[in-house]
Amino acid sequence: MTTTGDKASPFHFDRHAPEYIDHFDDLTHQLHEKCPIAWTETWGGHWVASGYKEVFEIARHGSLLSNDHDVHHERKGWQGITIPSPPGRDTRGGFLEMDPPEQRDWRRAIDPYLSPAAINRWKPMLDDLTRACIDERIETGTIDFVDDLANVVPAIMTLALMGLPLADWEIYCEPAHAQVYTPPTSPDMARVIEMTSVTQQKLLDGIRECRRNPRPGMVLGLIEAEIMGGPASDSDIRDTLGLLIGGGFDTTTALTAHSLQWLGENPTERARLRAELPELIDLATEEFLRYYTPAPGDGRTVTCEYELSGHHLEEGDRLWLSWAMANRDPSVFEEPDAVKIDRRHNRHTSFGLGVHRCIGSNVARTVFKAMLTAVLDRIPDYVCDPSGAVHYDTIGVINGMKHLPATFTPGLRIGKGIEETIGLWQKSIDEEGLARPVTRQG
Amino acid sequence: MSDGRGRAGGAIRLKVHVDPDKCQGHTLCAMEAPEAFELSDFDGHSTARFETVPAGMEQAVRDAAKTCPEQAIVITD
Repeated sequence: MTTTGDKASPFHFDRHAPEYIDHFDDLTHQLHEKCPIAWTETWGGHWVASGYKEVFEIARHGSLLSNDHDVHHERKGWQGITIPSPPGRDTRGGFLEMDPPEQRDWRRAIDPYLSPAAINRWKPMLDDLTRACIDERIETGTIDFVDDLANVVPAIMTLALMGLPLADWEIYCEPAHAQVYTPPTSPDMARVIEMTSVTQQKLLDGIRECRRNPRPGMVLGLIEAEIMGGPASDSDIRDTLGLLIGGGFDTTTALTAHSLQWLGENPTERARLRAELPELIDLATEEFLRYYTPAPGDGRTVTCEYELSGHHLEEGDRLWLSWAMANRDPSVFEEPDAVKIDRRHNRHTSFGLGVHRCIGSNVARTVFKAMLTAVLDRIPDYVCDPSGAVHYDTIGVINGMKHLPATFTPGLRIGKGIEETIGLWQKSIDEEGLARPVTRQG
Repeated sequence: MSDGRGRAGGAIRLKVHVDPDKCQGHTLCAMEAPEAFELSDFDGHSTARFETVPAGMEQAVRDAAKTCPEQAIVITD
């Protein structure tokens, strides 16, 4: 029987299965050719939108799709942005599991901490933290790009933006990554949930401390915010901080690891990027974002009947927007399965489309560029060890890596180590109020 | 259609604006053509620096429009 991708004739698609990682290109080609919007029977049944045209049409549609996660069954019982919805979940995933206007109020509260102008102020700290990470390893000639660099800088940056103590980054780090790479059916899930609940408590403590002793940062911005006409509860603020940690820690790590691995495998392109960095760094960054799509997709719930490319969507249907597959659509991207570090007109969907555009996109780009620039500058001849490179067991949530060891010609330290560097920047943040919002709306 | 409108020195001049309902602050237009697009300090949403595209900047503006993920840049002549 020919698969039509309708409910009566589903297309088998399981983004948590190993085939999704191992045969991503083939699977993408099949979906694009046969059914760029397809029904699959997995995880309770859901649509998969893989064609650029389809993703573009519905993701930007004002009211067709809902992000709402109605954990207390107060509205329509919709399941938010994860397919399958995590078992036993009784909290929303911050404003990413809300619809406007509530979602808009939350975003407005933190926009001025995350705009390009706001993030530019952090470049000196990012460069210094990156330098310190490399200094920790440069005399040994060995580094794990994930453990020693890409896990560290994004985590510290995220805490800095929030106004939380930088030295706590390690407490949040493992659970932030593990809750993403652990498959929903894994026996390790209970431990991961336990670790996550410890960090949830830590965040609540941080919010209460900020209420007692206000200090600049997104925590204070959320405490002071007016959400739907009133202040937000501590638990709602905690859920949004959890979202910002998930978004801030793991995605940029994933992008950095994959990009450094690719550049290690393509030394001619690496040398070209290094030689022409000012001209190429923006284009190369967007291309790595497109090709590796750190957050490969998002779930939604269909709110009303809708015809899309010959398929009939019904209210309540679950739907997966595959940013990763839309990014490989040949009708928009020439040679979509190739990395071209000078690709132009790269209107990729890696930060999503529509009102839920990744609010941390400017952080991600700036942190990534700081790390990439320093690696190309200081250890440009690195060679990754393929036998030590570990990809996530499931890339259903984030297309990430756990480890990426490499060797290189040793060099000389040029500054202080990471612990001391963190301490110095904490002092600057405290004394100079670096985490203030860049502008205030009048 | 160009009669008396959008003409300067005999050449047809393009007009450009960013649709504020579509722009989501991806910032790619300002990366592509910083001389043509300005980003809000507050949220990174874009506005065109001019309504009529100055001579010589047409291609940069067209490139930025092609790069916009939301297709929020409207060019008319």
